[in-house]
Amino acid sequence: MQENENNDKDIAILPETESGDSKVYELGYLLVPSITEEDVPTIYGNLKELVSSFGGVMISDEMPVMINLAYTMQKTVQNVRNKYNTAYFGWMKFYMSADKILDLKKKLDLDANVIRFLILKTVKENTIAAKRFVHKDISRKRTPMTKSNESEEVVPINKEEIDKEIDAMVAA
Amino acid sequence: MKQDYFSANNIKHIDYKDVTILKKFLNPNGKIMSHKRTGVTSKNQRQLAAAVKHARFMGLLPFVAK
Repeated sequence: MQENENNDKDIAILPETESGDSKVYELGYLLVPSITEEDVPTIYGNLKELVSSFGGVMISDEMPVMINLAYTMQKTVQNVRNKYNTAYFGWMKFYMSADKILDLKKKLDLDANVIRFLILKTVKENTIAAKRFVHKDISRKRTPMTKSNESEEVVPINKEEIDKEIDAMVAA
Repeated sequence: MKQDYFSANNIKHIDYKDVTILKKFLNPNGKIMSHKRTGVTSKNQRQLAAAVKHARFMGLLPFVAK
């Protein structure tokens, strides 16, 4: 009984989608490099449509960009073994119900444009923090240097003003 | 690295796409550094290992670097 109540609460927290038990998923994928630059946005759009056709609600995503792969990948399409050293890497985050995600995987398995893909459970918050922290590290190293320079700069002293101030203090 | 890098930089979820961060925890051969070397908490070390493995699968990091 208690477990059921807890489940109801969890569902209530999640945003309203078509079915109640939606989770946050992330799909990372590699597209075949033989696609021309102009065709990438259309294929990217098709993938988005595919996800939304399974009741997926987009959270965030990134356009596929050409990357050099860390190692050579192979994929056999119609009995031809293709090797890849570069690929378009893109990702998207979305809400989807847990029972639909398997159907999405089956569809992607058949997609000839996709070399590989990775479906992960994740959180809706942005998890990429790389750029910000690189800057932080640099600023930390530099701060002690700049501080020592600043302290050496001496403000020119106006003698007349100081004399006046001292007189005023003595008078008081 | 004495302190936990991830809690020091307020990173709650280790993302496999953050290759610049993940590379800090690889040795020149591309192997994941040990608990002892990284100084990362056990929980984060497990997340880190999973993130590195996902990044390897997607070709963002090498399985072996010579």
